[in-house]
Amino acid sequence: MDRQVVWTIFGKEMLDLLRDRKTLIGTFLIPLVVIPFVFFLLSMSYSNVEKEARAYVPIAVTGTSKLVDHLRSQPGVRILSPDRPAEALQAGELRAIVTIPDHFDQALRSGGSARLHVAYDNTNQKSVYAKSVIDSAVQQYSSDIVSMRLRQAGLSAEAIKPIETTYENAASDERQTGGMLAGIIPLMVVLSLASGGVAAATDLVAGEKERGTLESLLTTPIAANQILTAKLLAVMVMSCISATASLLSLSFVFRLGPLKVDGTVLSFGFLSPASLAVLAATIVLLAALFAGLELTLSTVAKSFKEGQTYMTGVVILAMIPSYMLMPIHPVDIPALYYVLPVFNGVALCKEAFYGAVDPLHTLVGLGTSLLYVSVVIAATARLFRREGAVVRW
Amino acid sequence: MIEVNQVSKRFGNIAAVRNVTFSVSSGEVYGLLGENGAGKTTTMRMMATILQPTEGDIRIGGFSVRTQPVEVRRRIGILFGGDVGLYNRLTARENIAYFGRLYGLTGARLDQRIDQLSRMLHMEAFIDRRVGGFSRGMKQKVAIARTLVHDPDVILLDEPTTGLDVTAANMFRRMVAMLREEGKTILFSSHNMGEIEKLCSRIAIIHKGSLRYAGTVAALRERCGMNDLDDIFMAMVEEGGR
Ligand SMILES: Nc1ncnc2c1ncn2[C@@H]1O[C@H](COP(=O)(O)OP(=O)(O)O)[C@@H](O)[C@H]1O
Ligand SMILES: [Mg+2]
Repeated sequence: MDRQVVWTIFGKEMLDLLRDRKTLIGTFLIPLVVIPFVFFLLSMSYSNVEKEARAYVPIAVTGTSKLVDHLRSQPGVRILSPDRPAEALQAGELRAIVTIPDHFDQALRSGGSARLHVAYDNTNQKSVYAKSVIDSAVQQYSSDIVSMRLRQAGLSAEAIKPIETTYENAASDERQTGGMLAGIIPLMVVLSLASGGVAAATDLVAGEKERGTLESLLTTPIAANQILTAKLLAVMVMSCISATASLLSLSFVFRLGPLKVDGTVLSFGFLSPASLAVLAATIVLLAALFAGLELTLSTVAKSFKEGQTYMTGVVILAMIPSYMLMPIHPVDIPALYYVLPVFNGVALCKEAFYGAVDPLHTLVGLGTSLLYVSVVIAATARLFRREGAVVRW
Repeated sequence: MIEVNQVSKRFGNIAAVRNVTFSVSSGEVYGLLGENGAGKTTTMRMMATILQPTEGDIRIGGFSVRTQPVEVRRRIGILFGGDVGLYNRLTARENIAYFGRLYGLTGARLDQRIDQLSRMLHMEAFIDRRVGGFSRGMKQKVAIARTLVHDPDVILLDEPTTGLDVTAANMFRRMVAMLREEGKTILFSSHNMGEIEKLCSRIAIIHKGSLRYAGTVAALRERCGMNDLDDIFMAMVEEGGR
């Protein structure tokens, strides 16, 4: 009977929520709108900057040398001579300024060395690219000089480079994908977990309180705990639906999008059964934590509006750890993060996506999560059972 | 059936109900009369076990609201007036069925009960439509059906005609009279003395949480020596105020 009542309430809540446009928008906003949009913007700006950086590389050169020919032969390079080169570099009209000292070629020809000065703007991606173009021109010229000197000494080019090294990246394609996804996926998953339940949680307590239905519900012979359990489940389900939709959306966008550069094969194949299990447990616990917090706030709120305002807090709570952990490689995650709420979930998500699930981390992370969930739910239950908590007057 | 025994309710330092005693027997519609803020809703909420009395106890069908709240809830149906709380995205049938299930009704028994209520309240035309677009009167019918779905012995009606037009209010009162004939125990609260008199032979008047009168309307008339109901009500309110 107990269980059946919970399912009856849960069934009604789901029916009610799935018929609510506001809830559906809240649940699917991140997966279906935010994720594709963010990726569209990222890939757009990425490829545009890249393209422009390559297509047109304006640089200024003072002094004379054969090096200038090498520079000219680099693709995209234009040699300009503006009146105020330093300012042009600041303004981005020039990508770099190459200053060749007097007697540069002579010094090199006579077997000495010479100093070349290159000014560029480290904060400008295009200028950084120009620097690499100049580098390769300098490399070409240097190796010309070196070959010439070796010839003069009766040696071959191999004489000064006895060891030829070829490097092979130890990370498989799948690991590389994991690395890339590990940055953005936990962020999106945790954000959609937090925001996916917001509309449901607001509606199911603050909304029901405002409409007076909760009061009627409490005059039936069921326990307040049963009502709360059903509502918690409903909010968790909406959170998990949102997170799952985000994962699907991410995999779809990754597969389609122009971020598929540098030969990185993007697939979800890197999720081993162990990673998958950790990921699923982490997601469920995070969903329970957020659902508990959201229902607490919804119970405290005096109105639907007030509830909505409070919910922003939960989303921000989810954002901070996600952003803080986004650029960190799992190996570098501080141990403390595995015991902090939400941080531990984000950290475990990252490990799962890097395919580097650590048993101790998993144990500590899931254990502390379970503890936080129990505390939050116990607090919610207490609040919810408090006399008059659900009555409007 | 309903025994209110020296009940008080305080919210912090607001005394919403003070030492109120009255009782309602089966087959009776008992009037609970008072102005806004008199403590009618608070009294009903204590009967429905949503609030706990600060002092005293209420027994419903012999069960105490303090110690046997679940038994009490099984036996009561409560209807709040004004903007009645329904699930707007569910149909009338879904609203009623939900509550039916929470009272343990299932399957054919539940379906039959809903059909019966639908006929009784003339809801056939809209029973399968979503409640969101309903008029106040239609919503009221759904709320009544929900209140009665488990066929409770004790029916608590808290200002049930608020917001209804004259026709709907009349129909509602006829239905209450019908329920009385079935032997139900009914508590009907209102701030309108005229309405109460149409239905109730016995009434309680509360003012600022205190009981000013409990007894028959006839005895009240005799005691005040007045005929106009509003005058009587004013006299009762002022009498205790002094
Ligand atoms: N939950 C509550 N918390 C604090 N005060 C309340 C609460 N409910 C009612 N009151 C106060 O108790 C008094 C009686 O209210 P109520 O029972 O709603 O009166 P009525 O239904 O007769 O209009 C009012 O002064 C009201 O402000
Ligand atoms: Mg009231």
